[in-house]
Amino acid sequence: MIAQEIVQVITLVLILVGAALAVSFKDLLASILALAGASLLVSLEFYILQAPDVAIAEAAIGAALTTAIYVIALRRTRRKEKE
Amino acid sequence: MRGEMSVIVRTIARITYALILVFGFYVILHGHLTPGGGFQGGAVVASGFALLPVAFGAAAAKRYLNPSLMRHLEEVGSLAFLALGFLGIGISFFYNVLANSGSLFGAAVPFGPNSGILNSAGTLPFMNWAVGLKVMTGLMTIVLVLLIGAGKEGKD
Amino acid sequence: MKKAAVFAAFVFVAAFLLFAAGRLHPFGEPSAPAMDDYFLAHSQAETGANNVVTAIVFDYRGFDTLGEATVLFAAILGVVAVFRGPREDER
Repeated sequence: MIAQEIVQVITLVLILVGAALAVSFKDLLASILALAGASLLVSLEFYILQAPDVAIAEAAIGAALTTAIYVIALRRTRRKEKE
Repeated sequence: MRGEMSVIVRTIARITYALILVFGFYVILHGHLTPGGGFQGGAVVASGFALLPVAFGAAAAKRYLNPSLMRHLEEVGSLAFLALGFLGIGISFFYNVLANSGSLFGAAVPFGPNSGILNSAGTLPFMNWAVGLKVMTGLMTIVLVLLIGAGKEGKD
Repeated sequence: MKKAAVFAAFVFVAAFLLFAAGRLHPFGEPSAPAMDDYFLAHSQAETGANNVVTAIVFDYRGFDTLGEATVLFAAILGVVAVFRGPREDER
């Protein structure tokens, strides 16, 4: 039980780190990948909280499809954020 | 070719593409037994398909995937789901007429932990297939139309 | 000035979320379990589905799923309408 809580805390801290990295990166491709990583960790957190249905949907839509759409959008715009 | 990603991405896409598709169809077909269902499985299959245009470019993807056909299949899935809902209109909307009837998908399941009887749940597997078809082709339409629309306009 | 406002908003939202997190129900003990107990006890006999989540999504609450399908359809309609581009005879 205590081990599960430790895993949960680590996952939540890593989600926060991923979200902060997604905001702070100047290279937008790296930012998209940080967002996908945070999304995958959210999916892991759903799985730990015993909601595998939501975990599958989050992993498929949040981590894969959103990333694909962002990469497609990035091809038509600048890769670097202007300061 | 323009729009292709690096050789690493293309090799990984070639390997994982089939595995993602198999997992997605498994989630759809076993939706009434295991976690998941039409929406989740359809999203997994669509993400597997979305790997193709992202890795190989819009021109290569357009040879295999037709957005217009995808859109029509999405409408077929919607109408099938609505028709399955109307199947039980004699008692109530979305009434499960096939459950526990002994016919196709009509086996009764015992109370308790998952017994794994595939031939159960009445109209739920059909609804899973309809929603799965709808979600996979719908999300695929979004990705393909965005890709083609983004590649067409403007030259820089 | 702007930075101070952003920082104040951040502190306010963070404090609000932490306060809400402290007052959550304990995990696995819902506040109104009567409906949950009914679904867990009857869904296998009534719908024949071993997966109770699927039984709720497609049978007990099928109308909600129809609404979700409508939302997805409307989203696809919007994307196709915006990104379709001119037809061959309109160029």
